[in-house]
Formats: sequence, C-alpha cells, structure tokens
Amino acid sequence: MSRLVLYMSMSVDGFIAGPGDSADNPFGTNGQRLHKWLGDGGDDVGGYRPGDAPSRTVFDEMMSTGAVITGRRTGDFVDYWGGDHHHGVPIFVPTHHAPSGPHVGDVRFVTDGIESCVGQAKAAAKDRDVMLHGARTAQECLRAGVLDVLEIQLVPVLLGQGRLLFDGLGPDHIELEPIRTLESPSALHLRYEVRYA
Amino acid sequence: MTAPIRLYMAMSLDGFIAGPDDRDGQALGRDGGRLFNWLDDRMSDGTNGQVYREAMATGAVISGRRTFELAGRWQGDHHDGVPIFVLTHRVDDGDVPPGSARFVTDVEDCAERARAAAGDRPVLVHGAGAAQALLRAGLLDEMEIQLVQVLLGGGRRLFDSLGPEHIELELVRRLQGRDVTHLRYRTAS
Repeated sequence: MSRLVLYMSMSVDGFIAGPGDSADNPFGTNGQRLHKWLGDGGDDVGGYRPGDAPSRTVFDEMMSTGAVITGRRTGDFVDYWGGDHHHGVPIFVPTHHAPSGPHVGDVRFVTDGIESCVGQAKAAAKDRDVMLHGARTAQECLRAGVLDVLEIQLVPVLLGQGRLLFDGLGPDHIELEPIRTLESPSALHLRYEVRYA
Repeated sequence: MTAPIRLYMAMSLDGFIAGPDDRDGQALGRDGGRLFNWLDDRMSDGTNGQVYREAMATGAVISGRRTFELAGRWQGDHHDGVPIFVLTHRVDDGDVPPGSARFVTDVEDCAERARAAAGDRPVLVHGAGAAQALLRAGLLDEMEIQLVQVLLGGGRRLFDSLGPEHIELELVRRLQGRDVTHLRYRTAS
C-alpha cells in the first residue's frame, strides 16, 4: 500500500532553511549546510546520490517513490525542478489557486483540498510510496492526519535561525513510532510512523 | 582533558522542552509531562537508567533562573548536594538561594566556577536559557538530548534565538531507550 513519506533535512535546532529564503536563495543563508549529506549534484538527479551507505539507502528509497507532493512555496522556489523531480513521476501541488497556463513537465495543481491531493498522488504512485517535501504542506498533512511516515535527516549543526520544519502544529500532540534509525557522519536518518490518536 | 560542561534536556521531535503555558504550579506546561515518561525507567538497568545515573553523577549544576524557580529552587539540592550555579540577570537584595545554590550573573564566571567545583566530573546544565547563553558564549561542550518520539505541537523551545552563527556538532553517542533516543553531541571548538 502506498504511504505518504515526508523527506526533510533538519538541523538539531529544527530548521530546514536559513533566514531570508527566497526564489533567488531557496535554502536561505547557510541553509546549504543542511544538504551536505547529499552528493554534489550534476546533470541529473543521480549526481546527488550520497557517498555513504546509510544515506544512500534513504536517497534510493526517496528516488523510488512514485509521485511527489510539494508545497506551493517550495515548488515555486525551485521552479518545480523543471517539471521533473526524479524519473518523470508526477508532481502534485496543493494550492488555493492554480496558476494559469500549462507548466513544463508533469506538475498537477490540486485545488480541492489536501486529502484529495494525497489521494490523487497515491493513486498515481500505485503501490509505490509518495514523497512529500515542504514544511507548510507537511504541517497541513499532519493536521489532516494524512502523513504516514516521517523520514528526517537530522543534520549535526545548530543553524541558529531560519525556517522551522514544525511550527504552529496546534495543541494536540502527535505520537510517533520510531521504525528505523540509520547513522552516518553527515546525518542521522530518523524514520517514524505517525500514530494518530 | 577536562570534564565537559554538558546540557541534559528532554526534547520533542518538534523542538519543545515544555508544553504551552509553563508556569508556577504547571512547571512542565500543558502535556509537557509527556517528555518525561522515560524517567519512569530511571532506576532500571537499561539505557534510560544509565543516562539518568550519568546525569546524577555530575559534580555541579548550571541552571537558568527560570528553570530554577519553576523547579522550586530544588529546595537547594539538585542531587547529592553538589553546587548549583544559577545564571541570572538580576539578584534582589537579600535573596539568598537555599542550600548549595548561588546566583551568578556572568556566563563566563558561571562556567568557570562550575567547572572548578565539579573537579574531574562533568557539569550538568539544565534549562533552555542557560543552554543558549552558554552556546552563544562558546562554553557548552556537549549536549545530551533525550529526543522524545512525539510532536508536542507547541510550548517552549530548547533552541530559540541563538543568532546568525551556526554551530557545528558531532554525534558522539546514540543510545535507544524506551520512548526516547539519547543523542550526545559535542560542539565544535
């Protein structure tokens, strides 16, 4: 069964981007530090494959997901990865207003709610998992009870300021069940299943 | 090598060390008690007991003023009567803290005195304010974080307003306990 899995790199103090993140500087000041666990990049996504085995395991799982959900903010910053995050799988974007005109690549704006967006992405992914990326959308999915798994790359740094992954979730606490921890020098890979009350 | 100044704090995955509305009479905030379920095992032979015993084997305590007051000043004794150095901005005339506690207004002075008092044992740091002050001054050597598998959703953050300088860490120990992952980080010198 397809699961919705959040993939985010986070500092020990909870940030996923440095301050002043924008389309010109999507990671914010010093935010690149959070992505050093990945490879250096290149012409295709394979260039980001990490050098160490634990990080590779996580990266390979991420690259084998069958659809992507990203927030409007994150997506706009990176121009929806040119319409192809990995292997041409569809990219779903929950939003209030879809932009006019076609978008390059398979980018689908969904305006009828987060549950519908997740449903469409899971249907497209068939038996594969769906990758979720973006803090605001992650929070929306948690509040709606539709996020199944958190895969956090906990990066050994205190960024000091920036954009928090978990902010304004609300008063109800959400229990997590750790299902795997992989340790590499560049990041601690924490995998949790979400246990909604 | 001198013994480290080491922070001990339980933190939810979303970064909180207390629930919302922490105050006198509700020191852990609403639902904040959730972060301390692991202490039910503090007398056990397992991982949670081990970390608790290590904390209780420290030779001095540095606490923030807020934490100190919320904890009822520990009646002057956090553990085994070791000296407690309470970092504060202000000391009222005639306010003498009980037992082995004393107020200190300068962070460097505080770290130096705590280290001297602890001898060859580590110094235990408790409280978000004290942790941040020591981090900003470059005086915190290690952080032992009890990462609790819950999203608390709101409350008081451990790391807040540290400022623009980022601080590199090294994960030097990871222990899995019941309900909690014990992460020990060393700060880059």
